[in-house]
Amino acid sequence: MQHEARNKGELCWQVSWEGMAGIDPQGSRRTALAAEEHLSSQLLPYSDRKMCGIALTAECIFFVSDPHGLYPLLEATENNDIYAAAWIGIFVGFALLALSILGIVGVMKSSKTLLLVYIILMLITYAFEMASCITAATHRDFLTPNLFLKQMLERYMKSDTDNNNDKQMTEGVTKTWDNLMLQNQCCGVHGPLDWQEYTSAFRMTHNDADYPWPHNCCVMNTRSEPINLDGCKLGVPGFYNSNGCYDAISGPLNRQAWGVAWFGFAILCWTFCVLLGTMFYWSRIAY
Amino acid sequence: MHPLLLLLLATAHGLDKLSYKPTLVGGNVEGRMTGSTFVLEQPRCVFDSYSTANIWLVVATREGMDAFNDSAQPGMPEWSFQRFPTNTSAYLTLGAMQYHYGCPKPDRELTVLRVGSETDCADNISVPNCNGPLPGPGPYWVKFLALNGSEPTATTEWSGPITLKTAREPQSIPGTGGARSGAMIAITAILSVLLAILLAALLATLCSSEACGVGSFRPDAASIRRYNTHHVYDQPAARL
Repeated sequence: MQHEARNKGELCWQVSWEGMAGIDPQGSRRTALAAEEHLSSQLLPYSDRKMCGIALTAECIFFVSDPHGLYPLLEATENNDIYAAAWIGIFVGFALLALSILGIVGVMKSSKTLLLVYIILMLITYAFEMASCITAATHRDFLTPNLFLKQMLERYMKSDTDNNNDKQMTEGVTKTWDNLMLQNQCCGVHGPLDWQEYTSAFRMTHNDADYPWPHNCCVMNTRSEPINLDGCKLGVPGFYNSNGCYDAISGPLNRQAWGVAWFGFAILCWTFCVLLGTMFYWSRIAY
Repeated sequence: MHPLLLLLLATAHGLDKLSYKPTLVGGNVEGRMTGSTFVLEQPRCVFDSYSTANIWLVVATREGMDAFNDSAQPGMPEWSFQRFPTNTSAYLTLGAMQYHYGCPKPDRELTVLRVGSETDCADNISVPNCNGPLPGPGPYWVKFLALNGSEPTATTEWSGPITLKTAREPQSIPGTGGARSGAMIAITAILSVLLAILLAALLATLCSSEACGVGSFRPDAASIRRYNTHHVYDQPAARL
């Protein structure tokens, strides 16, 4: 019964296009078949969008999960909007998924109301995703080496913190840098001489003669002790890490920012085409 | 005139003046100069003929260099590290027997002297020869002095001025913000244009239907709108 009514609905739409085709059984069957093919090709963009929605959600969940542990650095710069962009991406992905189902239902029923609701909700989702892309791209531009250098010098191993929030950010930065230097065998942002060229919170509590740079910059043995502390303090190649950590920071953050921004941009371009097509289709539907 | 006097004095006391000049270690040692330490090459093959002597390092300021008396004794408070540089302009440290600086220099070892590495004894006046961290950026001059008991037997030349690093404040780091990249401008511009086109298309679509009242009086559109599927076979004339 429902199937019959659906066929009749499509038939009605086709006839309104063709106008004077007349109602003959063969003609109606032909136009019904044509309508079926047309319908399935109409539905294809919506199922593509389901895939895009799922892919966007998956990508943004990966970024939000912070596999490289760099979030405390961004939190301390009070500039963690690329994470906000990823969170928006998660919800936009879900929205795309749900709305594409609504779109499919709307096209199958050829319902003007449903499709109008679909178009308006998609426009809202479009605006959110646009905000997410632009945020990710803009805030990526703020992440320069000097930003991380200043933050490292001012917060790493800072002992006199003003309030709870400051203490939490300081601990986050200290732990993140310790992990970074140990895991990536690097020191400072540009190199160990960062600690020599600038005064720092670290220098307040650790004197220059014993700690020209933090001991995490030394080459470690399996028990996490420097293999030769004097060699490390002297700066003899082989006993200390001479390269900077900026690549280890900027690599993942760049990938995250550009991943959210460009993938979102691609989805939005595709969404643009589908929305234009839907509006065009909507304007041709008869009640 | 002054160096000539010194030379006469030296020969009068039996003090040999060696032409060796203390130098900083080579460039691949990254910690050769920090804020309070510096690293010298060991005086290998310099004091070979003074095998019974103690070799001491003299660290002095400019005034100390000019006024230094080679009869200085390491244990004396006048030449102690703790009184440097306020109450004394030079001090003796890093004393070692001559055989530590044997010749030839071992091939694969790094033979250096780190001046300023002992932090424990920096405030301990009972250790006047402490190799403590230098109190300021300098400049400092150093030379080696060989003492046989309490008699100075040989001395090297003074080194060149050694000025340590002065650290800058982190607030002086420039430009912690970034410039706008081209990609971000492209994304913003293109997406804004697309959104504008979509909104315009939505308005056009709504207005071409009954919402704006533009095309609502076309008779064939009205008849198509009232086309009812249940009456397809009952009212064929309504299509026209």
